Amino acid sequence: MTHDESNPRIDAMLSALPRELEPQRDLWPAIEARLESRPGRGRPARARAWAWQAAAAVILVAASSLITASLLRRENAQTAQVVTPAPAMPVSQAAFGQPNGLGEGYESARQELAADLERRMSSMPASARQKLLANLAEMRRAADEINAALARQPGDSLLEELLLNTYQDELGVIASVNQLTTAGATSVTAQQENIRL
Amino acid sequence: LEEQDVSEFERAKRAADERRLVESAAKGSAAAFERLYRLHAGKVHGLCLRMTGQRETAEDCTQEAFVQAWRSLPRFEGRASFGTWIHRIAVNAVLAQARRRQEHIGVRASIEDELADSLPDGSVGDTGAGMDLEAAIAGLPAGARHVLVLAGVYGYSHQETADMLGVAVGTCKAQLHRARQLLDQRMRQQERDR
Repeated sequence: MTHDESNPRIDAMLSALPRELEPQRDLWPAIEARLESRPGRGRPARARAWAWQAAAAVILVAASSLITASLLRRENAQTAQVVTPAPAMPVSQAAFGQPNGLGEGYESARQELAADLERRMSSMPASARQKLLANLAEMRRAADEINAALARQPGDSLLEELLLNTYQDELGVIASVNQLTTAGATSVTAQQENIRL
Repeated sequence: LEEQDVSEFERAKRAADERRLVESAAKGSAAAFERLYRLHAGKVHGLCLRMTGQRETAEDCTQEAFVQAWRSLPRFEGRASFGTWIHRIAVNAVLAQARRRQEHIGVRASIEDELADSLPDGSVGDTGAGMDLEAAIAGLPAGARHVLVLAGVYGYSHQETADMLGVAVGTCKAQLHRARQLLDQRMRQQERDR
């Protein structure tokens, strides 16, 4: 408290006042109704249960489509890339964390996605591959921790959102791999065309 | 010493938990933001209630402060704690509300109702004195009341209080001095009237 030129009696009384005075009614519903959407903004509680599974499915489909489209483009370009042999890597290293109640279909698609990613990583320089693996391992560790917390607190909406955010971050990394390897292939093709000219 | 360590550990843990909530809310998590609301609503509402002296206005300002905080969270840099940051937003909400309403000063019955529900359990005498003091604060002129609440009750420095209210530090000191004198007079008068 600011006590210069103080009145000790009044200051003591002011210091004894409670800092917190709860509102008589819950203001949160009115506040929540006024929150504008932002990317990643949570949905209302009633919609969270189904939205959680739907969002996970969307992420998975988007990731699979991204990689499939990129592979097709690479085949069409018929580029000659310098391939750096990659050490054998367990699929799980490049995969999502343990899926939290997302079903057998999700698990199957996850394995496929992980295998695709592994193939793409084999064409990356060793240093880039190491960074990628470190990033994925970090995300997987985070996802495992959140999944463990979810096992203790099933249906916790905040944990579910954090897990989805982690999956979205991993999708971002996969998209980066996709862009890098596609851009690399395009660059090699362009160089070859220049040499032919 | 051990208790102190535990207390330090708890404080650090709470701060870390709050940082995580702020980060999640900044990314758009309404669930994280709701937890921040639950943690800070009492203090923000207390500040608004004492600065406005009117329950409904205080609730409006509290709502407005949290909505503004949600909008500004992506730009929150974490230099101050979330609690300090949202206090500043709440003060701005109160001042904006006062400008809109051209603020009428006076003791409102509603603050006494509010405080009767909000004050912690204690002896009748203590609660009565607390309510007398709250009523006396609510009856102060707006400028003096704002400074007294921020500096006297919530412990902000003159510089911080002046910054939040957009006044000079000298004005802040003068208002605080005036508020203390008025409060002292009114409390003594209340004691004589009993």
